[in-house]
Amino acid sequence: MATISLMSSDDALVTVERAVAERSILIKNMLEDLGDSGEAIPIPNVNETVLKKVIEWCDHHKNDPPTAGDDDDNRRKTTDIDEWDQKFMQVDQEMLFEVILAANYLDIKALLDVGCKTVANMIKGKSPEEIRKTFNIQNDFTPEEEDQIRRENEWAEDR
Amino acid sequence: MPPTMPQAPHKDDLDETWSFLESGINSVMHKLEEGVDMKHYMALYTAVHNFCTSQKAVASNQGLQAHRGAHLLGEELYKLLGEYLSRHLSEVHEKSLAHSEEALLAFYIREWTRYTTAAKYVNHLFSYLNRHWVKREIDEGKKNVYDVYTLHLVKWKDDFFENLHAKVMDAVLNLIEKQRNGETIEQSQIKSIVDSFVSLGLDENDSKKSTLEVYRHYFQRPFIDATRKYYENESRQFVAENSVVEYMKKAEARLEEEKARVGLYLHSDVTKSLTETCLDVLVTAHSTLLRDEFQILLDNERQDDLARMYRLLSRIKEGLDPLRSTFENHVRKAGLAAIEKVASEGENFEPKLYVDALLQVHTRYQNLVDEAFNGESEFVRSLDNACREFVNRNRICKSTTTKSPELLAKYTDSLLKKGSKAAEESELEEMLVQIMTVFKYIEDKDVFQKFYSKMLAKRLVHVSSVSDDAETSMISKLKEACGFEYTNKLQRMFQDIQISKDLNANYKVYQEKVLDDDDRRRMVDAHFQVLGTGMWPLNPPNTAFSAPPEVTKSAERFQKFYFDKHNGRKLTWLWQLCKGEVKANYIKNAKVPYTFQVSTFQMGILLLFNETDTLSYSDIQKATTLAPEVLDPNLAIFLKAKVLLAGPDGAKPEPTTTYNLNYNFKNKKVKVNLNIQIKSEQKVESDDTHKTIEEDRKLLLQSAIVRVMKSRKKMKHVQLVQEVIQQVKSRFPPKVPDIKKNIEALMEKDYIERLEGDEVSYIA
Repeated sequence: MATISLMSSDDALVTVERAVAERSILIKNMLEDLGDSGEAIPIPNVNETVLKKVIEWCDHHKNDPPTAGDDDDNRRKTTDIDEWDQKFMQVDQEMLFEVILAANYLDIKALLDVGCKTVANMIKGKSPEEIRKTFNIQNDFTPEEEDQIRRENEWAEDR
Repeated sequence: MPPTMPQAPHKDDLDETWSFLESGINSVMHKLEEGVDMKHYMALYTAVHNFCTSQKAVASNQGLQAHRGAHLLGEELYKLLGEYLSRHLSEVHEKSLAHSEEALLAFYIREWTRYTTAAKYVNHLFSYLNRHWVKREIDEGKKNVYDVYTLHLVKWKDDFFENLHAKVMDAVLNLIEKQRNGETIEQSQIKSIVDSFVSLGLDENDSKKSTLEVYRHYFQRPFIDATRKYYENESRQFVAENSVVEYMKKAEARLEEEKARVGLYLHSDVTKSLTETCLDVLVTAHSTLLRDEFQILLDNERQDDLARMYRLLSRIKEGLDPLRSTFENHVRKAGLAAIEKVASEGENFEPKLYVDALLQVHTRYQNLVDEAFNGESEFVRSLDNACREFVNRNRICKSTTTKSPELLAKYTDSLLKKGSKAAEESELEEMLVQIMTVFKYIEDKDVFQKFYSKMLAKRLVHVSSVSDDAETSMISKLKEACGFEYTNKLQRMFQDIQISKDLNANYKVYQEKVLDDDDRRRMVDAHFQVLGTGMWPLNPPNTAFSAPPEVTKSAERFQKFYFDKHNGRKLTWLWQLCKGEVKANYIKNAKVPYTFQVSTFQMGILLLFNETDTLSYSDIQKATTLAPEVLDPNLAIFLKAKVLLAGPDGAKPEPTTTYNLNYNFKNKKVKVNLNIQIKSEQKVESDDTHKTIEEDRKLLLQSAIVRVMKSRKKMKHVQLVQEVIQQVKSRFPPKVPDIKKNIEALMEKDYIERLEGDEVSYIA
């Protein structure tokens, strides 16, 4: 079983099965272009903690069929997340966002989806106030602006 | 710490980011063979990623892009990359000017390979840009934005290819011309150029798909034009200097060669137009020349060359049509000539000679059609037309078309009669199949039927069929060709013979019971055949005849037996067809008594001599009641064979002439056949047959007319004639005046009547 090493932004070496690392299209393309030189692959945008978290996900999903791409409507429309992924995503918000950013950077579409769905589920059914509270966002609208926005989006409200 | 980690640019500084990327792309583009190191690779990807996700850049553009939600960065990088590629390509173009012909091709291919390999890398390095900014632009329907790889191709086409394709194509075409002239060339070069041209065909609407437009326009068109010109010249020159046969070989070889060329280094898309062009220039343009050679090739039986001509002309539109009538004429002439030869050998040729001549011509050209013309149905039709012509209208059947079927029937009889030469059963079957080949072409099928049934009747009555199987086989062949009605009578005749066999067996049993001793002593061992009057083409005897009492007794006994079984039937004795054997016990110097095979008439004469050794002509006539036409020739046979001696010697058959039994009769054989058919009978028979054919045709026409009128009730006269022709033409080709005559006849008999406006109607 071929393994390769990854080097995180904070210079930690992480050894991983090649097939697992290739869940990242970035790494896959690079290995295709350059071949495996045996050197550690630098991952300058991801630190060790996050990298290991991402690899944990990749390892669990290494046998998944390749994603069908953007045209797969089911994947896009539903916010359902499978049980293992839900548990996997039960982390603090900072970690959650780090994982999402890493997935985007490393080009791991399925992980990016799971991350975004998790965030979407955190928003679903909440009022603007609650959302602000959840994500610790400061309200920078004036009351007039806020009123206008509410009126524009009236149609979308649950009643 | 890794020592050579490249210094990453500040993510929100465009200039810094771009110059970092540009140096990276440069080394991919120019120094890829030195390898790219992983750190650089990741650094370049990361630089693109970081720039596209930098917060500051978002802020600076916020106002402009507010309407589309989250803003995506990357436009600047995309633009700069495009400009970089244009610069690179204009340098490449500069350098290309130094090359021409094959060197230019090598240069083009080298640069193309370098460029597209680099494009694959750059596409991966910029994949973050592809996934976000480019994707968004394309999703929003922006034209002229492509993924980074496609951008490379678009740039190549616009900034390089547009300026160079003509020169490249010239070099390619020169190379192909060299190969056509027989030189060896570097085929893979052309293959690479083709692949490059194909790759440049981009679908405006979907960058993932490609079209063949660029290839078709810039490669295929000039290639086809050059091909046309090349072969126009070559074929013109070749034809001027060589024979047509040589030219056909050349053209065929060239067509093969061009077909192979597609597989070697062209795109399969070109196949159709290349083939069409080659056919047009090599075949269509010279088709008149080829066709003019056709008759010459036929005359010389050049099968291979004919096949070649067929193959060539069959590939162009309507290429073969003019050949068909030439072929038809040729076959017809060959048929007529063959018959001419038979006819030139005098009146009395064997029917076999005639049929063989027909078959030989048919077989020869059937083979030609199969071998050279691929058994093509249109040529088969021409062959059939020609055969029908010469089978029905040739020197021998010049006066009447009924001669062919008559001769064919006679030939068939000669095969099916005992003593024919075709001993082997399989050989016989094969000959019957051949007969059917000729039969197919016979127009007067009813004539064949007439003669055939006459001869079949004879074979059956005289038990002279070579085998029952062969007879059945022939009948079923005719049935297959003409239907049940055509062979109905033939089959019934065959059945009558089978039934008669059983009848005789039953009669034997009956006879055992009724005979007394005296009867038994005088009994004649007899075999009887009962033949249905309607089925058999037989006539009652044309002479009166008092059968000898021995025969009469047996006949009467059988008649009684038969009437007991079948009440109300009528039996007519066909004495002229009966025969028997008599033993000559009176001849002293024979160790074994002679046996004479005789007709019943002859038997009637000979048995008179049981009572006396000398009889006068008038005695014989009175006793047998035979007409002189029958009696005289039979007496002549006896005199010739010296069974009887005339007194005075050499006397004509006159009432006073006496006939003496010859006690000193001598013959080499113990069995002497005296039952010889008389010449004049043969002639009469044939004439009779022809006469009955005319009668039957009249009936056939009339019944067809009635059938048509019965179903249509009312119709135009012309139409009626047409329908009748349709109905009877499978039997014989009717003449219109005959049909009209028969319509008249039916009007007189009040079956139909004439209405106004040239209509006729059926009277129920």
